[in-house]
Amino acid sequence: MRSFKRLTALGATVAILAAACGGTTVTAPPSAASSGDLGSPAAPASSQPSAAGGSAAPATVPPGGPVTIKWFCCLGTGDDPSQLPVEAKVVSDFNASHPNIHLVFDHAAYLGARDALSTELGSGNGPDIVGPVGVGGAEAFHGQWLDLAPYIAKNHYDLSQYSQGAVDFFKVGDEGQVGIPFAIYPSELYYQPDMFDEIGLKYPPAHYGDKYTMPDGSTVDWNYDTVRQIAMQLTFDKNGKDATQAGFDPNNIVQYGFEPQRDDLRGLGAYWGAGQLLGPDGKTVQIPAAWATAWKWVYNGIWTDHFIETNAVWNSQAFNAGGYTFNSGKVAMQENFLWNVCCVTEAGKNWNLAAIPANNGTVSAAFNADTFRILKTTKHPDEAFTVLTYLLGDASTQLLNSYSGFPARTSAQSGFYQQLSQQKDAKGKPIYPPNVNWQVATDGIQYADNPNFEAYMPGYNQSVDLLTKFLTRWTSTPGLNMDNEIATLQSQLQAIWDKSQ
Amino acid sequence: MTALPTGKRRRLAPLARREAKWGYFFLTPWIIGFLAFTLIPMIATLVFTFTNVTLTQDTPLRFVGLDNYANLVSDPATWASLGVTLKFAILALPVGVLAPFAVALLLSSRHLKGAGIFRILFFLPYVVPFVAGVLIWQSMLNTDSGWINEFLRWLGVSDPPNWLQDTAWVYPGLVLIGIWGIGGGIIVYLAGLRGIPSEYYDAAKIDGAGAWQTLRNVTIPMISPVIFYTLILGIVDVLQYFLVPLVLNQGTGEPGGATNFLNLYIYKNFFTYQNMSYGATLAWLLFGITLLITLVLFWSSRRWVYYAGER
Repeated sequence: MRSFKRLTALGATVAILAAACGGTTVTAPPSAASSGDLGSPAAPASSQPSAAGGSAAPATVPPGGPVTIKWFCCLGTGDDPSQLPVEAKVVSDFNASHPNIHLVFDHAAYLGARDALSTELGSGNGPDIVGPVGVGGAEAFHGQWLDLAPYIAKNHYDLSQYSQGAVDFFKVGDEGQVGIPFAIYPSELYYQPDMFDEIGLKYPPAHYGDKYTMPDGSTVDWNYDTVRQIAMQLTFDKNGKDATQAGFDPNNIVQYGFEPQRDDLRGLGAYWGAGQLLGPDGKTVQIPAAWATAWKWVYNGIWTDHFIETNAVWNSQAFNAGGYTFNSGKVAMQENFLWNVCCVTEAGKNWNLAAIPANNGTVSAAFNADTFRILKTTKHPDEAFTVLTYLLGDASTQLLNSYSGFPARTSAQSGFYQQLSQQKDAKGKPIYPPNVNWQVATDGIQYADNPNFEAYMPGYNQSVDLLTKFLTRWTSTPGLNMDNEIATLQSQLQAIWDKSQ
Repeated sequence: MTALPTGKRRRLAPLARREAKWGYFFLTPWIIGFLAFTLIPMIATLVFTFTNVTLTQDTPLRFVGLDNYANLVSDPATWASLGVTLKFAILALPVGVLAPFAVALLLSSRHLKGAGIFRILFFLPYVVPFVAGVLIWQSMLNTDSGWINEFLRWLGVSDPPNWLQDTAWVYPGLVLIGIWGIGGGIIVYLAGLRGIPSEYYDAAKIDGAGAWQTLRNVTIPMISPVIFYTLILGIVDVLQYFLVPLVLNQGTGEPGGATNFLNLYIYKNFFTYQNMSYGATLAWLLFGITLLITLVLFWSSRRWVYYAGER
């Protein structure tokens, strides 16, 4: 019995010691060895706020030690192996110049990032700052972002360095100014000039508003009817027949004429017209007419006219296995965002950019914008704002180059294309073709879809899942009645929204 | 062992009391673990089902009665995911139960040379980390470059299946991946087969029984407890099928929702859709289904499972 008591006492002592040690760990100032730390510990350096929006930092370490700010990545870009060292250096540089703040980098791969952030938030271990994050990633956490307006005012942060439109893009009705512009990604039409030359077709127009010249010399509007006609001529089977010819074999296509941006049914529709699924009453699903037109056009392009890949082909190794199929070098035209320049180099040595076609006389180009956001749950909003302004300011060039992000800061825009044209591969050869018409991308900004296709809707993540399910169904299944399909999508979306409200 | 007296409780002797205390002491870590990680979370999830808990809790926490259960009944995605699970079970369960049994029979055959080598070969995949195995299978089942389709093309199949991207072929594809892990089942069956007394086989031989009759009248009845055990585990596994679709498609349910298994839907409700209460309600649905099927199996086992030690 005595030994039992001794053992119990020993157990109790161990428990008390463990509790004591645990308490120390929690309350101790964060150290460089903490999990996810990519930066160095606080170094004796100072920095002053810069006119371009550089961060402010007190020169001394507060008595309680530096405040830890956790930066969560990657709800948008940022998880590529080539980007991680850049982010690590940014963290390291920040920590070296800001003794009062200890920045740690919390990285989750894009595909699991939403779940990872949800789990962190749910367990009360959420980050302070999140990014780069696009509208879709942010709307998955609707209502959880800090209104930056008071901090912008308090720190006299200069918003005039951005276009007013870009600033307003992050002004959300019931949430406030939830972001400051960082990187923008207008859309453009990527095309392969050699494929056009091969069959004597004129290139798509590089200027918005220009007409297209058909092979017979007639000029026509640059719209989706025109795209359909030339895309069919640019689609070839293994026997060399194009999609307009009798005997064309749709089961053995070796080159496709066109590829829509198929990441998201909403984005696909936004190239036909700006819109959103959320009705004016804030609870009813509405399908924008332009989107329905787009979905039917694409469906017919796949199953009737055969100039767009089926899901099976799109997922095949030969056509880039579910990646951006234009980059396989076997697709003549693709609508995509500017961030695709990261990977378009695989498409060959002679691609170029053209204007997005019009639908019913109106051009709409889906628009992406990434930034960093601060969560409402942060315990240190002032320090988080300092980090935010550092990422948008001092670190922005490094990060934007790494993310292939077009700077939202107007003064930095001209240098972006210049640095792209100067980029060289390991053998010292230029990465991008010399004659890429980058101006097309800049011109596309004025056609950005507004409202943005990724705008808030109830049950956001579940709704996105449903849209993806229908996208796969439509690109995998011939013979569907698209009117019925769209009606079914609408009713199923409504069921999700009703449940979530 | 003496029978316990009825009525008045008997005081334990000092030695028995001391033993009981030590027993409880050594059981304490397990009891704490069970309470902290199983029982209390289970009770918590049951409580969640009557509330509106979300990960972010942007609306006030409140009691919602049976709302989550009503949602469950009217939610087409729940029944679709249950349908996906059942469709897969119909294909995967017979394979998961019969394939290891068949292999174990072959491995225990007296005519097989080098049985030990084969046992090792069949068991080896079982020790490969499962996620790594899934990724390897993903490459093997690749429509264009996977060696399974290369082999089918070599056989003359001009248009081999798009295993993991086609809603019709994805289940056979997943079953193929599942066969990778039957090593554990083979070992269990082998142990069962070796436990059958050889006298039964001798008697069957004397009675003139052939191979099929011996299998049907001796081997299967004698190994029926192992079949029962494997069946129960197989049903639990198939109802909780989760890891493979999560690794293959990052939980998107692709192609076209065909891999949106019930357990995956539960996970997504918890973490992706951040709706803890509804996720908990779905988890209790899964628990109820599993319990019901298991109880039915236990009830039916009296008719087809033979325990040699029972009277």
